[in-house]
Amino acid sequence: MLPFFEKHKKKIVIALAMVLVCCAVLTAGRKKSAIFLESVVGFVISPFQDLTTGLSSWMDDTVTTFTQTTEQADRIQELEAQVAILEAENKRLALYEEENKTLSDLLDLAQRYPQHPTTGAKVIAKDPGNWYDIFTINKGTTQDISANQVVLAPGGLVGKVIESGATYSKVMSILDSRSSVSAMSTRTGDLGVVKGDYSLMNEGLCIMEYIDAEAEIMVGDEIVTSNLSETYPDGIPIGKVQEIRTDSNGLTKYAIIEPYCDLKHLTEVLLIDKSEVAQ
Amino acid sequence: MRRPIIITLLVILHFILQTTIFHYFEIRGILPNTTVILIVSYSLLRGKNEALAVGLLCGLLQDIFFGYGFGFYTALDLVFALIISLGQKNFYRENYLFPMIVCVLATICYETVIFFFGLLTQGQMNLTAYLWNLLLPECVYTAVATIPLYRLLFAVNDWLELKEKYKYRLF
Repeated sequence: MLPFFEKHKKKIVIALAMVLVCCAVLTAGRKKSAIFLESVVGFVISPFQDLTTGLSSWMDDTVTTFTQTTEQADRIQELEAQVAILEAENKRLALYEEENKTLSDLLDLAQRYPQHPTTGAKVIAKDPGNWYDIFTINKGTTQDISANQVVLAPGGLVGKVIESGATYSKVMSILDSRSSVSAMSTRTGDLGVVKGDYSLMNEGLCIMEYIDAEAEIMVGDEIVTSNLSETYPDGIPIGKVQEIRTDSNGLTKYAIIEPYCDLKHLTEVLLIDKSEVAQ
Repeated sequence: MRRPIIITLLVILHFILQTTIFHYFEIRGILPNTTVILIVSYSLLRGKNEALAVGLLCGLLQDIFFGYGFGFYTALDLVFALIISLGQKNFYRENYLFPMIVCVLATICYETVIFFFGLLTQGQMNLTAYLWNLLLPECVYTAVATIPLYRLLFAVNDWLELKEKYKYRLF
């Protein structure tokens, strides 16, 4: 066989080439299904092609996924950092909002007493003992604060200045058992004296004493400062009646008052100088 | 010269913390009586003279910033420093139980004195509320607070004594 092929190599190749060319010419534009030989070859080869393509695309996928994962992780970190920054910012702004609210409330309160000059101040320290409720504020005689000025907070009365130094003043709140404020109920006009009580102080409550036994004071009544007081201007809201009890002597009643302002968490207060009249 | 400066700074720092940050540790409005802890610690650790100095400073600060009149807390703290420092000689400083017991007893006396003065000046008498809402929680809280504070003051004192030992060649 082989010597025959060796001998007629050129002729065989040419003949084969011609046959193939003829085939190509004849089968060009053929629209029938593949012939048997083609099918067999296809049947054997195509799974491998499939496998290889699958493999390469799997590799491709894996590599992309991997790179994507690292990229995404980076991105997540970046976003988390951003979220943290924004949250911090948000908290800061919320604090500002809170402060803004208290300050504008104080301003509202200040406008209620236009005839007297007012000053804002910050609470800086509180009484360390468990008996009394005195605190210090950051303004003193250099800012024209003097004893007996009235101290207010958003909501109502806080107390009065009892002593002032150059840069600080002591304020006695209405919860202190040594303070007393002449008060009346707005609905019925019943008079009484709002005093602190050390057993109620920690709950932020005070009592109104010396109410007439026939007074028609009720739970929920609004209590304001009365016009009998020298220190306090009249009509400053103090609080609401929470409970009414009769004294053991049966002649007077006393009421437990819930102050309008949160006296346990004061930060900013407003001082009214009653002695001076603003122009 | 180091010791008076450090004691003065310590008392002032204690006062500042007591009136501002310690209020965040209030339980039902009750704070431990850290003034008593300071006075008791110095009475037991160093004796009469320094206890009186600490008592005087604490009382003065409290009178200046939170007193209604002047002198009540100064007198009270001085008397307490004097009485407690009488029993200083015979105990081991490293023991924690003794300062704790003394602190609780001193707190009881201290608050009762304030209670009776309040009674005399204002005529308010609510003994059950005083005992249950003020004295009992304050004693417990003070006893608990004594341990870390006494340890801290003990360490400060130890450090000072070591420095003095080298300086004056005392021992």
